Parts: sequence; structure tokens; C-alpha cells
Amino acid sequence: MTEAAIKVEDITYSYGDLLAVKGISFEVQPGEILGFLGPNGAGKSTTIKMLTGQVAPKSGVAQILGADITLDDPAIQARIGVCFEEKNLYLSMSAKENLDFYASLYGIKDPDSIEILRRVGLADRAKDRVKTYSKGMRQRMMISRAFINKPDVLFLDEPTDGLDPVTSASIRTTIKEEAARGAAVLLTTHDMFEADELSDRVAFINDGVIVAIDTPENLKLKFGKRSVKVRMRDGSGVREEIVALDRPDSGDRLKEVVGSGDVLTIHTEEATLEDIFIQMTGRGLVG
Amino acid sequence: MSLTRMFKVLRKDLALGPRSPIFLWAIILPFALTLILQVAFGSLFAAKPRMAVVDQGASEITASLEKMDGIELTVLDNPDALKDQVRANDFDAGLILPKGFDDAVRSGEKPLLELYIGGESLSSNRIILSVTTLDLVRQVEGTAPPVDVRIENFGNEGLPISVRLVPVIMMYALFIAGAFVPSSSLVEEKENGTLSALLVSPVKASEVLVAKGLLGTILAFVMAFMTLFLNKALGGQPLVLVLVILWASAFSAVLGIVIGTAAKDSASMFTLVKGSGIFLFAPVAFYLFPEWPQWIAKLFPTFWAIDPIWQVAVLGKGLDAIWVDLAVSLAIAIALVPVIGALSRRMQRKLVAE
Repeated sequence: MTEAAIKVEDITYSYGDLLAVKGISFEVQPGEILGFLGPNGAGKSTTIKMLTGQVAPKSGVAQILGADITLDDPAIQARIGVCFEEKNLYLSMSAKENLDFYASLYGIKDPDSIEILRRVGLADRAKDRVKTYSKGMRQRMMISRAFINKPDVLFLDEPTDGLDPVTSASIRTTIKEEAARGAAVLLTTHDMFEADELSDRVAFINDGVIVAIDTPENLKLKFGKRSVKVRMRDGSGVREEIVALDRPDSGDRLKEVVGSGDVLTIHTEEATLEDIFIQMTGRGLVG
Repeated sequence: MSLTRMFKVLRKDLALGPRSPIFLWAIILPFALTLILQVAFGSLFAAKPRMAVVDQGASEITASLEKMDGIELTVLDNPDALKDQVRANDFDAGLILPKGFDDAVRSGEKPLLELYIGGESLSSNRIILSVTTLDLVRQVEGTAPPVDVRIENFGNEGLPISVRLVPVIMMYALFIAGAFVPSSSLVEEKENGTLSALLVSPVKASEVLVAKGLLGTILAFVMAFMTLFLNKALGGQPLVLVLVILWASAFSAVLGIVIGTAAKDSASMFTLVKGSGIFLFAPVAFYLFPEWPQWIAKLFPTFWAIDPIWQVAVLGKGLDAIWVDLAVSLAIAIALVPVIGALSRRMQRKLVAE
């Protein structure tokens, strides 16, 4: 079995008296995307800060690529990439200057900054100062910076927060490419659709505790309803019927409904990740 | 600590410098202050009177002129070249001393003395050169002046105000460039979040702080040296002068790192700078007012960094006169290292908590 790229065992962290992370454990394998879902203040960003070496856990073990992250080893830092939620770029520098500078910190001699910018659609603005960029362009720049060292472990904190659908889709494609390359990705988001689309597994974190961790499919099967919602013509109007899929007569009833010729639409009653999160915690992912 | 990574951060800061208003301010301010104060009190544009001499007979006058600090003397071989260059305003005046001039003067022959005055020369320079030449001829003649001159000094004895102002400009050059530039650069990195981005890369906090300190040291050194140059206060010992300027620049940078690590944001940094201004700038007031009790200046930490420059650059003293100053300022800097360490750890905790 391959060694986990990220291995976390019972880590905790507190801000003064406030216990923000209460003994969480999980692993992320190379090439895997783990979606870290939870509302603001749930402990997502604090977990990333611990795993990127910005702060040491109060207790527990956090390993990146087999090494204790608290040792602040530059060799390990050189193998991780971080995309912060806040856009922390050098605004007075151009995109290429930003990337070239960070590449130099990783000891990369001839960085292919233009190619990396091309991946996020910024190659033609490479020489413009970042201060002239729109919010979406800056976010793409953030992503490209996280990729500059071809990291083995990627931490992406709300990488598409507040972006338009086109930019978000482009960033999601790039994240998938990185995972396909073999990078382990820890993605924090409160966007259930993004987590569902990108994640091989998702972890629900609430109030500093992981309340569930599994593949999106398994979570939906476990917590969702096995039924379909059918909308049918009913005289001059429209009526809806919920048809259960797990009863002995489910097949006969579906045949009957479809055979009536009045069916307008059929939708599965599959739970969304947000529905499941609410079921488990009593609160939504946003807020 | 990796020197390579530290220099990468320094190189980035140096590249970003000209794009920062504070960096530009640090460069412009000493020049502007020098210009204003020299125009008001000094003689920035008042060059020494320039005289050319063609001496065809090893006159005592030439030897005396060469010893005068207040006159810029050039000895030429060719009388025609002298006239051409005076005409071209390369010199304020040109003097041709024929062979046997001194003997002729002593024997009372009243020989012809050719003194050429440049048409564009300043009246003050013409007077200085003419009077000086006649006085030297009289010395050669060996006669006493026709009058007795009684000289009385008016005003306070001591250095002129234009010289006593040098530490004021020097302090600005050192502490704006040495302390303010690195502290504002560090605070800007905190405010923009770029410090967090650096600290998740292989760069360590200590490397960032040393890079900022070097940025301040380099800039302060250049600005302090330029300030002394513009004020014609380079002393007579260039190596010692370089040493004391370099040390004062590094000392300023250490103070800058203390301010930068302690300040949460730009507002708190300006508050700190304003609050600590009295400790930074108070010593220079004692150079301006030498009648004040000078021991009070020694109570301020920055005195021990600025005084060696004063001693070497203005008073022309050597290492033996300043080693105590250097030792005290070194002790202060060493005492600040653990303070910076503690402030740096607190800074990182605050970054994470935000």
C-alpha cells in the first residue's frame, strides 16, 4: 500500500481557550482529492494552517509525505503547494515576476512560468502587474502559484470562492489535472457542488470535529432517499408523485406510471451533500 | 538559515523598492534636506576659487598657494594654455610668474605680474584670489603690512551651523532608509498576506527578517554616504568612515526590524515610529546645541551609532576615539536580537490567528 501523502492523527488546536480543532484524523493518498466541507469557523482553515506548517498542533500527529510537519523542514515545504483563501500576491509585480520569484524560493532555475500561466488562461497578461487584474484573474494567479513547484501535496482553501461559473469550471479542470498527475489534494470549500464534482472523498467537519468521511456516492446512498419524483399531466393541471424504489411493488408502479403516457419529468430524490450535512449536524454549509 | 533563499527575498525587495513610495521617500529626503539646509546655511554650490599658475622660476608664491585649503590650484606649463583656459572659464584666475620673479621683488624692481581674471568668475572669487596674490607678493618682498589689523571673533566659538546640521540629515538618511524602509516592507508583507505565502514555502521567518535587515542596511549605507558626500564631510579616513557608516546602517536596520515585527499594521507602525521618534532623533539636537549638557545625549541608544560618524566624518578622528561608541551600540544590537526573536514568534502567531 502506498504511503499516505497526508496523515493526520487526533490533532487539536486552540486559539486561547477556544478549541478550534478537536482531535481529527484522516489520510489523503497520492492522486486523491479530499474535499473538506464545513461552514465558516468549523476548523477547515485552521487544519490547513497546521498541515502547511504555519502553526503547530497542540496535540496529535500531522505528517506530510511521511515527515512530521512541525519540524518545519524546508525539504517538505518545497513539496507542498498552497492556495490561500485570501489573495496574497505581490500586486506591484507582474504575474510572471510573481511566479519566477516563488520558483526561485523552491530552487527552480528556469521556471516555465508562461506555460503555467497558460494553463490558467493568463499567459497573454503575464507581463502586466497583478494590481491590474480582476478578482477572477487574481484567483487564477493564486492557483498557478500553488502549482509552480509541481507539488506532491496541494492545499486549496476555497479556490473558487466568489468566482463566475466559467472561471470556476476552468480552475476545477486544473485541479483535476494536478490530481491526475499524482498530487494529493486537500480542498476546503463550502460549495457542495464543487466538492461533489471534484472530490474522491469528502470529510464533513463541524465545530472542530469530522462528523463523516467517505466518498460522495456512499454518503448519498447512506443518507439519501431511494425514490423518484414524477410530474404528470392530470387533466388540465400537473401533479407530482413520489415513487419509492425500495418496495416490492416499486417496479410495477414505475411501469404503470411511465405507461400512462402522462409523465412530464422524472427526478431522482438523491440527497445533496448539503442535505446530508444538515441531517448530520443540524446546520448548513454556508454561514 | 539558507543564504540563497535570503538573497532571493532581498533581491525581490530591492526590485520592488523603486515601486514603493516609502522607498523613494527614503532616497529623496536626505537629498532634499541637504539641498534646503545648504542653500539656507551652507555653500553647496559655492565652490573653492579656482586658480591656475604658470611658474617659470619655482616661486615661493606657488608653494604658498599649494598649501592653501581654500583655493583650488592647478599648475600649468604653458602661458597660452593658461590664458585660453581662463578665457573658457575653466579657472577664475590665472597667474604667470616669470623666471626670477621672487628675486626681482626682493630687490625692489617691481616686476610685471600677469594676473588674468575670468570674465564669468564670481566677484567674491576675484577678490579672494587678487588679495591673496598681493598678500603673497608682500610676503616675498618681506615687508610688513602698512596697517595693524586687530582680529576679534564674534559669535560662539565652534563649528558652523551648516556642519552641526550634518547629524540631523544623517539621522534622517540612516533611520528613514535603515529603519523605516525595512519595517514598512515587513508590515506591508503582513497586511497583504504575502508573508504567510512566503512562510509556507521553504523560506523561514528568520530568512525574511535578515533579508529585510539587509535591505535597510544597504539603502541606509548608500544614503548616509551620499549625505556626507554632499555635505563635504567625508573626513580623512575612508576605511574607518565606511566601517562606521556600515555599522550605523546595520544598527538602524535592527531597530527597523524591531518596529516591523512589533507593528501589526501600517497604522500601528506609524504610531510606533512617532512614539519612538524622541529616542531615535533626540541625540542630534545635542550636536545642534553644543552648549547643552552633552552627557544627556548618551542616554539615547541611537547616539552610540551616530556619534562615531560625527567623530570620523566631521572631526576627523580615528578608531581609537570611537571604539567605546561601537562597543556600546554593538551591545545594544545584541540585546535586541532575542527581542526580535520573541516579536517574530508573536507575529507568526498573530498571522495564523487572523
